[in-house]
Amino acid sequence: MERISELMDGELEGREAQRQLARLKQDQELAHCWSTFHLIGDALRGERPLTREISSRVAQLLADEPTVLAPRSFAPTKRAATYAVSVAASLSAVALVAWIGFFNNPLAPKQEIAEAPPASPPAAVVSTELASVPSEGQVNDLLRAHTEYSPSTAIQGLAPYIRSVSGTQQAKGR
Amino acid sequence: MKAAWATVWLGLAAPAIAAAPAPAAGEDGVAWLKKMASAARRENYSGTFVYHHAGRNETSRIVHFVNPAGGEFERLEAMDGPQREVIRTNDQVTCYLPGTKTVIIEKRSARRFPALLPERLGALSDSYTVRVTGQDRVAGFDCQVVTLEPKDKLRYGHEFCAEATKGLLLRARTLSEKNEPLESFVFTELRIGGAFSREQVKSRYAEKSRDWKIDTSSLVVSDVAADTGWVLSRQPAGFRKLTELKRSIAGRAAMVSQIVYSDGLAAVSVFIEPLPKAQPPQSLSHQGAVNIYVRRISDHMVTVLGETPATTVMQIANSLEFRGAPGR
Repeated sequence: MERISELMDGELEGREAQRQLARLKQDQELAHCWSTFHLIGDALRGERPLTREISSRVAQLLADEPTVLAPRSFAPTKRAATYAVSVAASLSAVALVAWIGFFNNPLAPKQEIAEAPPASPPAAVVSTELASVPSEGQVNDLLRAHTEYSPSTAIQGLAPYIRSVSGTQQAKGR
Repeated sequence: MKAAWATVWLGLAAPAIAAAPAPAAGEDGVAWLKKMASAARRENYSGTFVYHHAGRNETSRIVHFVNPAGGEFERLEAMDGPQREVIRTNDQVTCYLPGTKTVIIEKRSARRFPALLPERLGALSDSYTVRVTGQDRVAGFDCQVVTLEPKDKLRYGHEFCAEATKGLLLRARTLSEKNEPLESFVFTELRIGGAFSREQVKSRYAEKSRDWKIDTSSLVVSDVAADTGWVLSRQPAGFRKLTELKRSIAGRAAMVSQIVYSDGLAAVSVFIEPLPKAQPPQSLSHQGAVNIYVRRISDHMVTVLGETPATTVMQIANSLEFRGAPGR
């Protein structure tokens, strides 16, 4: 846990950071902590809004699975852990942890991508696992803006643009 | 042979390569990449290619013509699913989306992008083992296989097959850490050469689209090279900043900051824009080999995307900091 906290604080270099990231991928619980640390950090810095909508989801989640919420168990070291303890007393901590439980954590889908056979559609997995992805249209515009600068486009001509006007995305409208 | 290559490289102003020459095989591979980039721009061709990703195939028609009198024209049309067409005329890219009756007109930057920059091509061998691995056949053409095996997990592997004489790219595969294809572009039918024909690169929606919604928001202000004030505290190994600018983007009212990092082949773009009213949650998604990660930093929405593993995209997003204006 402490290593994860150090990783988050950017205190780990190269190989060790890689090793910890690999652990994150392997260990569901660690991945959850990683997300929670970030979430709590973001919330304390005012970078993440808590809405009433979330509170109702929290209530639902509490009813379903009260044991999920245990920020107190985090190692009381390092900055991220300090956040966890100071927020633990407030309802918002409950909301935060439940929120991440609800939306899943950002590392989980990656694991699924890695494990998915090539024939299965990982895109669908990701978009259903992570709720409220920005509208595809918005991403398409950025994807085009990216494609024009990517060196790989130089050897492929216009072909990579097909990604930014992809069928499923366009079907939903820009 | 080796001396000859060295001369060529020096001529291309690549001091990095001159200082530390790569093994001959690597140089050969890099030379092939250059040949592909040049062929993509110079050759006239028309054909059908299949874009394979996530277990799905999408077939497209592509036509590329260079007018001897000047001007480069390209047309891409999706043959499956909803109708979509992309037309490029020199530095202008126009997307026709009949499904939503929308036309998006974008200008590519005046500086010729994207480019396989000679100095960055030299750095490719820091991140990939470049090999010329053998011959294959695609769409009836003999082609040369060039593989780029990543030296770490921050980037994907690539396999290209280029037409043996002209160097036109016939097949491109992006490979995951497990060496499984994430996406591929493969020509199934191709004609190289032929005279210029304006008709073939004209939009089939040129007439119909007169009363469609035309989005020219990214034409209003051209790209401005700028110090956006955003930096990475931990830049992924092998990646260097390719460009940094403030630009307009279709569908956006406000200017968007874009910073592009590249290892010479793969690129990751960071987009920073004002937080929209509907605040997006942190999300990770992907389109083919492109991973897309969205997060919020203060009152900004940050979107990081690129043809790299999710780890790389997330590392860039998570180490982004604003160091611009003091007192912010």
